[in-house]
Amino acid sequence: MIPPSPFLCVITDDAFCPVTIAELALKGGAAIIQLRHKSASGSQLFSWAVEISKLCQKYRGLCIINDRVDIAMASGADGVHLGQKDMPADIARKLLGKKRIIGVSASSLEEALQAEKDGADYIGFGHIYPTYSKEKGFPPLGPETLQNTAALLSLPIIAIGGINIENAASLISCGAAGVAVISAVSRTDEPLMAARELVSAIKRKYS
Amino acid sequence: MVHNKLPKTPLPRIYLISSGQENHNKETSLLRNLNLIPGSLCCMVQIREKQLNAKRLLTLALKAREIGLPEGTRLLVNERVDIALAARLDGVHLPEKSCFPYQLRPLAPNMIFGCSVHSQESALIAEKSGADYLLFGPIFDTPSKRIYGTPQGLEQLGKLCRATTLPIFAIGGITPENGALCMAEGAYGIAGLSIFQDTFRFVKTLEQFYHIVTK
Repeated sequence: MIPPSPFLCVITDDAFCPVTIAELALKGGAAIIQLRHKSASGSQLFSWAVEISKLCQKYRGLCIINDRVDIAMASGADGVHLGQKDMPADIARKLLGKKRIIGVSASSLEEALQAEKDGADYIGFGHIYPTYSKEKGFPPLGPETLQNTAALLSLPIIAIGGINIENAASLISCGAAGVAVISAVSRTDEPLMAARELVSAIKRKYS
Repeated sequence: MVHNKLPKTPLPRIYLISSGQENHNKETSLLRNLNLIPGSLCCMVQIREKQLNAKRLLTLALKAREIGLPEGTRLLVNERVDIALAARLDGVHLPEKSCFPYQLRPLAPNMIFGCSVHSQESALIAEKSGADYLLFGPIFDTPSKRIYGTPQGLEQLGKLCRATTLPIFAIGGITPENGALCMAEGAYGIAGLSIFQDTFRFVKTLEQFYHIVTK
């Protein structure tokens, strides 16, 4: 099940060891770890997925695997996160069954509604603010689009893209159930502290 | 963990690998070639298109699956068990740096799992991990495999064939001229990538390969 709102999702960064990032993020209070590494081999991804899943059990987080439905199934991870160019969610659902979580990236209301129809459990919505973590072919959506989309969608939304300690809480106010970050945790001197501060920022504003 | 369950019918002895140059436009060379395979001639076919994202790879695999292929043909995809499951393929071919067959077999108990190997050592590891067959090479010099270093040669192929009970497909610069040499060393079958890209010669090449493996 998706964690209670508000929560922090940390996506691993190609430049650092995903297991190290995951453990620090979980210690800092992250509720979801998404293992995302586009250049790793299958065996490497599999062993990271197994290790991060174990850490997630220990710290009561969820381990979600980007793109690779097979790796998620084989490693015992909690679910997958699918981009618009990955396997469609309805097909992934048939392979994964009802218990595993499926998240889908969307950057418009249409994509989000389609994912909802296809049986997704949450929507990763963005990018909200400018970001350098991933190459984007379109301008940032901004908090207003997030708010409008959240109002029309029954699925929980995880806001992504350029999120930091200053803007995170406002996105929860816009209707996001959680926020996802890459660099705001991994590219800091103290990933654990960065995660902890993000978690306390979204919880403080929310309560 | 040795996987002892034998396939229902013997594996075909000719092994085709897709070009790695498929895109999402119109009819592709893979689909065109699959339609050309003579009805009596069954093959192993591996869809190996690492440049495609999962959505496009799935679309291609589904289209390939729709083609009425000769009985006994095994349609496989490189590495992605999820794509194989979603497109109801017959198996998965695992590169040397992907998961081991025993890690993936629980997801697809009835599928064929083959492994690429480039040394005796990795062949024996693949056998212990439950591979159903091995793809060994490059045997001869070939442009597409030059990055894997110098060719293994016929001697190494012979050594490996004597060291394992698994079916071994020889790959890398195999032609109608030298294919018989691989069979003489104990190869179960012969595999090709570049040689099958010439659509005009495709059927002719297949028939020549078939002649070699059935001799």
